[in-house]
Order: sequence, then structure tokens, then C-alpha cells
Amino acid sequence: MTHACPEYLALSRRGFLRVAGSTAALAAAASAPAWLPRVALAKDYRSGQRDVLVSVFLRGASDGLSMCVPWGESAYYAARPTLAVPRADSTDPNRAIDLDGFFGFPQALAPLIPAYQDGNLLVVHATGSTDPSRSHFDAQRYMEVGKANDATLGTGWLGRHLQTTSPMLPGSTLRGVGIATGLQKTLVGGPQTLPIPNLDTFGLTGSAGSRSDRLAAIGNLYDLVPDPLNATAQNTIDTMALLDQIDFVNYLPQSGAVYPTNSTGIAFRSAAALVRAQVGVEAIAIDVSGWDTHAAQGSTTGFLNGLMNSLALSLAAFHRDLFSTTTPSVSVVVGSEFGRQLVENGTQGTDHGHGNCMFVMGHQIDGGRVLRDWPGLATNQLFEGRDLEVTIDYRDILAEIVQTRLGNANLPAIFPGYTPTFRGVTL
Amino acid sequence: MNTTLSPVLPADSVRPLARRRVLFGGWAAALAAAAAGARAEPPEIAADVDPSSLLNRLVARTSFGFTDIERQRVAQLGYEGYLEYQLNHTAINDSALEATLSGLMTLSMNPTTLFPLQPSMISNELTDATIRRAAFSNRQLYQRMVEFWTDHFNIDINVGECRYVKTVDDRTVVRAHALGSFRTLLDASAHSPAMLHYLDNDTSTVTRPNENYARELLELHTMGTDGGYTQADVEQVARCFTGWGMQSRAAGLNAGLFRYNPNAHNTTQKVIFDNTPQRRVIPARSAAAGIQDGLDVLDALLTHPSTARFIAKKLTRWFIGEDAPQSLINSVAATFSATNGDIKAMIRTALAPNALASATPKLKRPFHIFMSGLRSLPTLVSSTSTLRSLLDAAGHRPFYWGPPDGYPDTTVYWSGFLVSRWNFGASLMFVSNGGNPGISGVMVDVSTFLDGLDTVDEMMTRIAEALYGGEMPTAERARIAQYLSVSSGSQTRQRDAIGLTIGSPSFQWY
Repeated sequence: MTHACPEYLALSRRGFLRVAGSTAALAAAASAPAWLPRVALAKDYRSGQRDVLVSVFLRGASDGLSMCVPWGESAYYAARPTLAVPRADSTDPNRAIDLDGFFGFPQALAPLIPAYQDGNLLVVHATGSTDPSRSHFDAQRYMEVGKANDATLGTGWLGRHLQTTSPMLPGSTLRGVGIATGLQKTLVGGPQTLPIPNLDTFGLTGSAGSRSDRLAAIGNLYDLVPDPLNATAQNTIDTMALLDQIDFVNYLPQSGAVYPTNSTGIAFRSAAALVRAQVGVEAIAIDVSGWDTHAAQGSTTGFLNGLMNSLALSLAAFHRDLFSTTTPSVSVVVGSEFGRQLVENGTQGTDHGHGNCMFVMGHQIDGGRVLRDWPGLATNQLFEGRDLEVTIDYRDILAEIVQTRLGNANLPAIFPGYTPTFRGVTL
Repeated sequence: MNTTLSPVLPADSVRPLARRRVLFGGWAAALAAAAAGARAEPPEIAADVDPSSLLNRLVARTSFGFTDIERQRVAQLGYEGYLEYQLNHTAINDSALEATLSGLMTLSMNPTTLFPLQPSMISNELTDATIRRAAFSNRQLYQRMVEFWTDHFNIDINVGECRYVKTVDDRTVVRAHALGSFRTLLDASAHSPAMLHYLDNDTSTVTRPNENYARELLELHTMGTDGGYTQADVEQVARCFTGWGMQSRAAGLNAGLFRYNPNAHNTTQKVIFDNTPQRRVIPARSAAAGIQDGLDVLDALLTHPSTARFIAKKLTRWFIGEDAPQSLINSVAATFSATNGDIKAMIRTALAPNALASATPKLKRPFHIFMSGLRSLPTLVSSTSTLRSLLDAAGHRPFYWGPPDGYPDTTVYWSGFLVSRWNFGASLMFVSNGGNPGISGVMVDVSTFLDGLDTVDEMMTRIAEALYGGEMPTAERARIAQYLSVSSGSQTRQRDAIGLTIGSPSFQWY
């Protein structure tokens, strides 16, 4: 949050723990890096046994056929006269970067090649939800809930994961974070879970002199009321103290990783700091918006190209930052509500489609390949005659990660009504 | 006057137990039940609602916050009289507010004069006006309906040419028809260059129509996602609207105005809602006459029962809450159908005293919280620049929602980021040692507000009257009083106490 008045903006964030209380797991640690002056790992911290999950939602229906290009398909080129990414075996400077002789990345995703070559990045294609909706808002909700068309299910799949597993750090103040002003549906229902748009400014403004008094008063006021506000308020106050211990502004990425300075880059950088601080956060949701490219989307240049490149630079920095060491261990899943129509429309864009690709990146992900049961792009192979078919349900991917990397076997609670097929996503 | 309005308050039927529920203490219980998912059906009564409490609630639900004048007015006019007063918005004198907007030149400009300007100036002036109108207009119900339709017909002001022409949409679509007819409003929106540009219809062609506007017209503007239309309908509607768009900047005096381009229009026959009772054939027409296709679609949508249901549900929830009873929604839908979408008539049905008496509290969205604070305290706003930034940081700056569905209107979405609410109160009331306000350009006159009040109890009574219409929950009042009593003569302490009240749990609801 930015304010015009520096006098109260300053809000010295140090020494905040005293007034806000209740972070017993924290203690001074001489060996901590400078950006993390006071946080030490609790003795019973379970990092290494379970991954921290970063869930990235590309809002607006990303064009999976541009993000992982089926350059071996002639139907792709017939359907996209102006938008197709040139074949990887061509000499076009904008040609696809070959991944496996059939699929390729556009040049905008070149920053992801090291993660792919290291085997940490898995691409899944012709995936998504089998629900036929082409409404952004229904499809996002269904995917975040983990089930389509169930009005009785008000919580998100990741929220239910947190509900049904013990905290990674016993007594953890903050288990789930949505980098957003309103909590993503994915995380709804999660205990100790908050939306926090800016991790470095999560504190109380106003007079510094009365801050501790006012915070105590707020705690007393919210003690009077029922949930959701009661629990959220107490969680918020505890989290202020927790986050005050981490100097996000001066966070120093490892291995020379450089995050983009746009909102996506800042979100990934903050997520990395949270992961490395090891304060008990085990699920982080990040939104990247702008993928509803109905017109002038571009592919090798233009809007979509920039959007993909920004995402790739952020993911690549995250990879460089966190994957030079084996702990803390993370899994990152990147997906969108549905893909876009195979045939480009008259305005150099694409309308709403069906199947899409997902990216999965992690220390223990079996990457360096494109996982698929490719349905083909001939008209008779398309969903409703127009869109990429879904042959791998997105929940197959998520459920395997939840069970094997997050250590939670309660899949019927997390993905009710669905029996996932594990696809060998994890090592 | 709509005859469905029942007598306001039969005075002889007070049942103490039920009566308690609608007072503030009862709100907490209702909230607890709602949070636990226990509240399955609407409460049964209206007859036993405390009269002044119901009038308070009418003001709360039809405004951005209490003022002394509004409380006096509702006491004089009674429930129906006050509602009619606010519905007849053009008769309400708003000259004091309008005078503060006179310097905002872009509010009345047309696209040709807007295009040469800096987009940030246009956006900032529109947002500045929106804040001042919401906080200080006497036409409060109208402003709340402007907020409603702005979300319903959402346009992200940061998209392309919308940076220049969203302000025209605000003036000629949303504000022109916010309390008029939904038919006219929808028609205006469908002809709005900003909308057609935002949803890509201005580049949709006969060879490859763009489905974006067509889909959101069906899903978001009229029928709702479960309204019964199909992908084929989306494609047919898209073909009907080919050629509708915005005149390019090269069009001289017509730049930025609506245009129908016959050369881009699909002239074949279209059929929508095939195999349903609402089946409509849109005949093949010449390109020159093809604009009628879109008008036919709008007519079909306005008479489709899904549209009445969808608009009724959304509008009823806006005033009554997410758990508005289906019977009430049905009544509002019936009003829609009977009146051809008369917005005032629908509001009368939705806000029938019985309906409001049974309503559970609604969470204020961040914009609402901000406006409540500005409105209920003696606040001088010389600049909204920092306010706009704070609204953005809270996730609720007007016209900044990207997707076409508009800002959410749900508790679950807005109840997580409490810090932004606490900090609005804290910043609004803060004054530095140098006399600078916590939100630059915004100063609350605490000396006037608490003038002549000596005791903590007097001050708390003033705070409760201004911010709650007198109905501040006792326990919360006691805790703020406790905070204040440490040094009740200190203006800093007084300011902090008011800031805490704005951040307090009960003030988040209305």
C-alpha cells in the first residue's frame, strides 16, 4: 500500500513482534541471511518431506496452442494462418524451440528451457476440465473448487487440502497465502489462510506511537464477533508479526536470479522469499491476468508474446532461485480455466476453447518432457468440432502432486466425486 | 406507488424475541448462523421489527452511509416516503456536489475532444467524480445503482480506447439509465463504443465473427450463465452483431462514436434459442438493414424469462444479500416482466419492508467502507489522488476490474483482506505532528465533530449516531470507549478511536 505521507509510511517494521504476539516458533538465528534477520527453523519443521505448493492461475483462458506449440501438426498451421508459431525445423527466426520432435515452445518461453532441460519442468498437453463450459467465470470456479457444477461445494481444492492435513510447521500462523486482495477460490476453506496482495506492507498504518494499543484494541473488538471475521482478524494480527520478520524489500535471490519488476515477477519473488523463510507457509496462489486474447493476440510478437515472456521470466527466476538447493522443496502448477479455439478468428485472436496445456515445475517432478495423450487437431478429433479435446483431466495432475508431494492421501475430500489416474508426474 | 408494498409497521404485534434479532445484537447472531451455514430459510416476520431500526436499515441499504440529514429525512418521510424520495432522484437538489465537480472538464466531453488528452487525466477525473458523488451526493440510492450497473456492465478503463471513452459510457449509459428502464439501459450499453471495444466487437467481421461480446451479452448482461443458451446461440448472436463497433480515430468528428459497418455484417438468416419456446428467427437482411439483427437479439433477450430471473436475482442480492429468499427474487422477476424492466419498480419490490426486515447483514465492499467513512464524518476532500491509490491497493478502485463480470458482491471474496479496512480508518483519522493528514487531500474535522462533548459517553454517542445511525453494538462501543478513556481529552486519542470504529467488525456490515 502506498501513501503520500512519509511520516506514517515509515512504520518501522522491526520490533513489531513484541506488540503482536504469538509466533512462538520464531527465534533469533545468527546464521540467517540479512534479509531474514530473525527467523530460525523450528526443530520439528518438516521441509523436505513435503513440498510447498505454488498454484498459478492464468486468468482468462490461456492459448495453450501458442504456449506449447504442436508444430508437428499440419492442421495447426491450416487453422492459424496469421498466429501459428513457425515449425521448429524451419529457418524462421521466430520458429518454435523444439521440445520433443513434435511440440515446441515459442521463443517467448525460451527462459524456461533450462528448467525443462534440468528435468524440473513438465508440460502436460490436451489437459484441463472435461466440463464443456466456455464461461470464464464458471470454468474458473469449477477448476478452483476442483469439481464442476456443484453449488454445495464452497471451498477450493487447495483449501481442502490444508483442511485435511496437519500443518507442515506445527502451530503455524500462516499456512496459505493468496497473493491477491480477495482470496482465490482455490484457497477458500484453508485454515490460517489469507489474501495478502503485498507481503512487504502488511502492517497497520496510522500513528506509530499508538500502533500497539490500536492493534490490541482491534484484537479485542474482533474477539466479540463470530467467524469469518473473528478468525480472520486474529490470523491477520498474527501474520503481521510473522511477516514483519521477513525483509521482503531486501530479499536476496540465490544464484543471481533476477525477477521481472512487474506484478507477476513481484509475486513470484515474494513467494520465493516466503518459501525460503520457511515460516510454515505451504500453499501460495498467484494470479496472472490478461489471457483472454480475442483480438490481436500476437504469438511471436505482440501482446500474448509479452505475457508469455513475463510468465517465463518469472518462472525461470523462481527456478534459478530455489532449485540450486534441494530444500525447501517446491512444486509449482500453472494452469488456466480452458484453452482457446483452434481456428483463429477474424481479428487475429482466438475465441474460447476447451483443452489446454499445463506447466508443472518441481524438485521432484518428472519433467523434461511433454506428457500427453494427444487427440489430434483434425476436425473430427476436435471437441465439438472446434477445440482441442481434453484427454488428461487436470485433477489427475493435481491429485498426484497432493498425494505424493504434499503427503495428503485424502483425495476423495479434495476432489470429491472424482477418481484420479496418476500419470507419473512425480518422481 | 407499487401496491405490493405492505403497511410499514403494524405497531401492535411486537414479539420481543424476534424483535431482538433485527437489532444489532441480533445481527451478530444472524451472522453466526449464516457463517455456520445454518440459516436455510428466511425469517418469518416483518411485523415485529423495531421501527427506527428498520428505517435505519433502509438508509444503510440505499446509501453509502448515514448522515444526520438523511436520518432526519427518513424519520420525517417514513419508509415508503423515503424510498420514493430517493427513487425520484432528479428532484433531489445536488447543486452543492455538482459545484465541486465543475472543474472536471472531461466529464462532459465527447470522444473527439477526449482523444487528444492524457488517458490518465480522463480516468482520474472520472474516478474523482465517482468518489465525490458516492460520498457526498444527496442522490444516494441513485449512486448505489450507478455502482451496481457499473459492475454489471463492467468495462476496464485501462483497456485500449476505453481509456478515452469509458467516461462517455459512464455518462450516457450507466448514469443516464441507472434508475430508468433496463431495456433502455441494455440498448445503450449495446451501442456503447467503450463496451463494443472492450469486448472486441468492434473488430468482429462477417468472415470470422468475434464471440466475446456476444457471449458476455448472454452470460453477464442478460440471461446468466445458467440461462439456457448454447454455444450455437453465442455463435449466432455474434453473427447478428457483426458490424457493431466504434468509429475509428480517423473518423473526424465521428471518432469514438457508435458505428454500424454494413460491409462487416453477416447478412444470412440466424436462429437463436432453437428448439426452445423462445426460438427466434432473425431473417436474412441486406447489409444496409442488418443493424436490425442486433436489435432483434436485444428484444429477444429482454423478453426471455432467464433475463428477468437473472437481473432480479442480482438486483435483489444487491439490496438484500446473498441469501435473499427465492420467493422475493421471483417477485422481483415478476415485476421485471410486468414492467418491461422498470428498475424503480424492481427496487420497490426488492425493498419491500418485509424483505428488508428479514434481511441479514451485508458486508461492505472496500469502496463502500471508504465512502461510509468520508460520508458520515465531517470530511473535507481537496484531492482524491491518494484515495484512489488506496482503493487500488484495497482491490476496489472503480473501473479497474479487468474481467467483464465486475467486482464480486460476496462475503467470501471481500472478508479476507481486513488490513485494508483497518488501515483506511487509521489513515483517514491520522494527522502527523506537522498537521498533514494520513490520506493527503482528505481531512476529517474532529474538532467540529466532537465539539462541546466532554465525557467519553457523550463522544461515543456522537460516534454511534454518525457512523451507525445510533445502533452501535454495545460491546464494541464499550471497547472503543475503553480505548478512548485512556486519554479522552486528547484529539489524537479521539482520532484513533474513530479510526478504530471504522475498522471495527460491526462497521464492516450494513
